Amino acid sequence: MLTSAIFASLIFIVSLIFIFAEKIHRSIAGIAGAVFMVGLGEAMGFYSERAALEAIDFNTLGLLLGMMILVAMLQPTGFFQYVAVWAARMSQGRPVRLFVLLGSITTVLSMFLDNVTTVVLIAPVTILICEILGINPLTFLMAEALLSNTGGVATLVGDPPNVLIGSAAGFSFNDFLIHSLPVVVVVWAAALIALRYLFRDELSVLPSNAQAVMSLNPAESLDDPKTARRILLVLGTAILLFFVHHLLHISPSFIAVSAAAVALIWVQPDIQETFKKIEWSVLIFFSALFVMVGGLEAAGVLDAIVGLLEGLSSIPPIWFGVSLIWIVAALSAVVDNVPITIALIPVIRGLGEAGIDITPLWWALAFGAGFGGNATVIGSTANIIVATLSERTRTPITSSIWNRRGLPVMLLTCAIASVLYLAFYKAF
Amino acid sequence: MNISECMKRNVISIPETYTIRETAAVFVKEHVGLLPIVDHDNKIVGAVGLRDLLSLELPDFVNFITDLDFVHDFGAVETTRPTPKVLGASIKTLMKPPITVHEDSGLLRAYALLWQHNLHDISVVSEDGRLVGMASRVDIGTAILSSWSKVE
Repeated sequence: MLTSAIFASLIFIVSLIFIFAEKIHRSIAGIAGAVFMVGLGEAMGFYSERAALEAIDFNTLGLLLGMMILVAMLQPTGFFQYVAVWAARMSQGRPVRLFVLLGSITTVLSMFLDNVTTVVLIAPVTILICEILGINPLTFLMAEALLSNTGGVATLVGDPPNVLIGSAAGFSFNDFLIHSLPVVVVVWAAALIALRYLFRDELSVLPSNAQAVMSLNPAESLDDPKTARRILLVLGTAILLFFVHHLLHISPSFIAVSAAAVALIWVQPDIQETFKKIEWSVLIFFSALFVMVGGLEAAGVLDAIVGLLEGLSSIPPIWFGVSLIWIVAALSAVVDNVPITIALIPVIRGLGEAGIDITPLWWALAFGAGFGGNATVIGSTANIIVATLSERTRTPITSSIWNRRGLPVMLLTCAIASVLYLAFYKAF
Repeated sequence: MNISECMKRNVISIPETYTIRETAAVFVKEHVGLLPIVDHDNKIVGAVGLRDLLSLELPDFVNFITDLDFVHDFGAVETTRPTPKVLGASIKTLMKPPITVHEDSGLLRAYALLWQHNLHDISVVSEDGRLVGMASRVDIGTAILSSWSKVE
């Protein structure tokens, strides 16, 4: 058993090194690791193909896939362009107002859609609006990524780690609204105020041509209003069903896949074009990580870790939770938060088996994984996307620019989350 | 008919030592769309088009937004100009590898190259790579169409 555990750990650690080093694509590293894990498990008798399939959390994959299909269909309608153009007109070209409006819209969208998707769709229009106004887009792009990472923590569907945590802990959509949303509202407001202060110089520059944005017509920017209405109706219904999914005894993933099916039947888009926009690599990466972690569990590695952690049960769980927020946040600042979450889920489950009340720990994991990514430009995919887009503008976002604004936001959000966690620990 | 029969022989070219500012002045004075860049031996080393220079001023959002119809006013972008530093840089920073044809090239082959590379003009070179002429889409296209009158 010990040999199996050592070999399984080696495969997992080597795969993680490749995933975090980013020299080869994380999905390729994931597939290779998963195949090695199953092969070794079959050879040594601790893991099998059937067990590997059972280790894949189809609840998570279904929820992600369903939402991805809906967004892939909504994207070409120009809806996101419409929302951003509307914000630009409402701001009347005033930078601070535009900053608050675009920041708020990004946050709300990222509560229901994946952060990466939200940023990918809002950032290009943001650049357009800023250039027309003659102001630096950097401020707005960074704020969008930071606020989208923050807003995503609020709901079950806002961020992939939440989907994973929700599925593992059996949390409903409403559990997130009760426990996570209030924290995020406070943290988000603080982040917005902090960003307003950190970007005070940039936001004080008056646009040279504020009137130009008033010529932007939101209705014209919406390319296909009929399809947009249909998909928004389906998406809205899906979100309403998320609120009551536990009462109806259906899973969020079933709702998401059903909504995608209804939208596909109603709109009948070019299926090849729609499926091209689905991030298959993300789904494959998730599956590969599930298979690897399943192998670790089968080899007894996680039992061993839990055994080591049992000594920690003497620490008050409240401090355990706060430490978890900061440890996960620090890790998420430099590496992808998805593998961290997938690897920690069985460990937290193990702690539960060892007699620790783990419900508050799940929330600590969600806060750490969500807010931690703000610290560095590589901390989350949304950050990488705005930085990459900004390279094609006159003011690229560099690592040092990010650290000066992102790190304070990360520290502030984690500190506030920790204080709220301590103050309302009994509610978690 | 081959390209040498429809090309212009009086070609404006610039040396590779020019700055972007000097090159822009030649475009303005000569009212041309493409300038071949030659070495001291009149051998073609590259080419620069109006499009390459204008890319310095084109706003970034043009790369991201697929349908710009709803943007009625480009606002501040209309008055954005490249910085003196950018204008003082060598034209080699914008130079593209030359797309050329030999003097004896057929017209359809020359037209196909223009089509494929989305160009309006093509440089014509001698056997030893010296610039000898320039032919535009119109020069080549009308030369091809002129043969249609002989079709019975």
